[in-house]
Amino acid sequence: MIVLKNISKVYPPDVHGLRDVSLHIKPGEFVSIVGTSGAGKTTLAKLLIAEERPTKGTIVIGGWDITKIKRREIPYLRRQIGVIFQDFKLLQKKTVWENIAFALEVAGEPRRRIREVVPHVLKIVGLDQKAHRFPRQLSGGEQQRVVIARALVHRPKVLLADEPTGNLDTMNTNEIIDVLKKINAFGSTIVLVTHNREVVNGLKQRVITLSDGRVISDQAQGKYILP
Amino acid sequence: MFAITTTGRIISFAWKNFTRNAWIGLATLLVLILSILSVNILLGVNAVSDAAMKALEDKIDISVYFKPETPVLVLDTARSYMASLPQSQEVDMRLPEAVLEDFKTRHKDDEKVLAALAELDQNPFGATMTVKAHNTGDYPFLVEALQNPQFAFAIETKTYDDNSVAISRVQHIAESVRLFGIILIAIFALFSILIVYNSIRIAVYTQREELGIMRLVGASNLFVKAPLVLSGAVQALLAMFLSAGAVVLMVAFLDPKLKIFFDGSDPGLQSYFMDNFVLLAGVQAGAILCLVIFSSWAATGRYLKK
Ligand SMILES: Nc1ncnc2c1ncn2[C@@H]1O[C@H](COP(=O)(O)OP(=O)(O)O)[C@@H](O)[C@H]1O
Ligand SMILES: [Mg+2]
Repeated sequence: MIVLKNISKVYPPDVHGLRDVSLHIKPGEFVSIVGTSGAGKTTLAKLLIAEERPTKGTIVIGGWDITKIKRREIPYLRRQIGVIFQDFKLLQKKTVWENIAFALEVAGEPRRRIREVVPHVLKIVGLDQKAHRFPRQLSGGEQQRVVIARALVHRPKVLLADEPTGNLDTMNTNEIIDVLKKINAFGSTIVLVTHNREVVNGLKQRVITLSDGRVISDQAQGKYILP
Repeated sequence: MFAITTTGRIISFAWKNFTRNAWIGLATLLVLILSILSVNILLGVNAVSDAAMKALEDKIDISVYFKPETPVLVLDTARSYMASLPQSQEVDMRLPEAVLEDFKTRHKDDEKVLAALAELDQNPFGATMTVKAHNTGDYPFLVEALQNPQFAFAIETKTYDDNSVAISRVQHIAESVRLFGIILIAIFALFSILIVYNSIRIAVYTQREELGIMRLVGASNLFVKAPLVLSGAVQALLAMFLSAGAVVLMVAFLDPKLKIFFDGSDPGLQSYFMDNFVLLAGVQAGAILCLVIFSSWAATGRYLKK
């Protein structure tokens, strides 16, 4: 599904984001990426959605080599990879429904399809009762679930979450992880960037550990190994 | 089907942009209108000062007074010689009888003058010739031409000398006013461009969050840019119409008032805008549309780099 070959990323002039990283993530996997602050986790996430370009190496997603992706092709990549970031990035002036519909509108989807898809993804994240609330009327965990719902509208094969629980308490964190597990059970590949020990240990899934831009550990049924 | 949905959505997003950011939209509109108006006010001032200069230049001529008993043959020679010069635009010869009549009508209410005139047994006036040049710069040459020995001996006085300083001064002022006007218009146009560009950048800046989200959820660049460019273009057209209305009202109000200063002759304001309407409207609409479209395109581009 996702193949990274000898990826290096240098931010000018000479800050190393990633150093010679090679990875292979198979379809349907639930992978956690851990590492201390500055280890290169966000850099990896940005490379996957082509917000940054690698300095060296190749990236292939679903058979598509995006190493030298053209600017006008990026929107199509973004529709295949759902992204969730720590800061929620919801539009405060739009309701939950409108925020999700927005992602379909800008992709030119017909209204009929929008009326089908929005309730469907809201149900997956368990917010079908709160469709007409505004973001400020929701808890942090609920807001993050709206972001997840929005990331799902194009039926992405990969869901990429960069510290989605970074700002949340334990209860809200568990809600989010449960939703991600559910989506993974439907067959989507999940890449979860986190430095939450309990979350990682509770998942009992593959864990890739980054340090100073390098992969220092990659275990199939991994644990959080950092101090 | 896709194209229709997309186009419809771009228009509806453009409309939402405009209404959601109503204050910023109104501010931008106001800036556009003020920019267009300031350029047009300067154009109007320039047109009027041009007309004023022309009116002044029109008043300049050489008056030549011949001695009373000059033979008609000499007068004819003088008139046809001066008229044959390419520098002269108009030569008018009034014979002594006509001058006397003019004098009488001018003083028809003044008994004393008429009585004094009646006591004379012959016409005290000589013929008068006025010469007008095509260009004010030609007057010195025409004065020179009056030295022609075929008729120079019959000339009693000529009045150009008294005016020559005034003429060159008027000429000088006219040229500086024109130059100054052009420079002022250029500066104002430049300021307007900068102000419009920046107010559009601010309008786009306030929406950067929405633009970022659009990108993140996979909107194409065109879809992000088109609504902003479209609402900018609509603002530009609206500003054009409103300023055109304001200009028409101002001109209609001012032209008659100015006419009084111009002794009833055309102050050149209305006629300037009427004669150049298509050119002015076309150039300004084109410039402002290009400016607004370019500004919104460039300002949006900053948020779409990655
Ligand atoms: N846009 C950028 N410009 C320059 N350096 C950057 C940029 N983004 C990240 N870095 C640097 O790259 C390294 C990895 O950062 P990042 O991928 O954000 O780490 P993490 O998400 O694991 O905390 C850090 O040293 C960081 O300072
Ligand atoms: Mg990070």
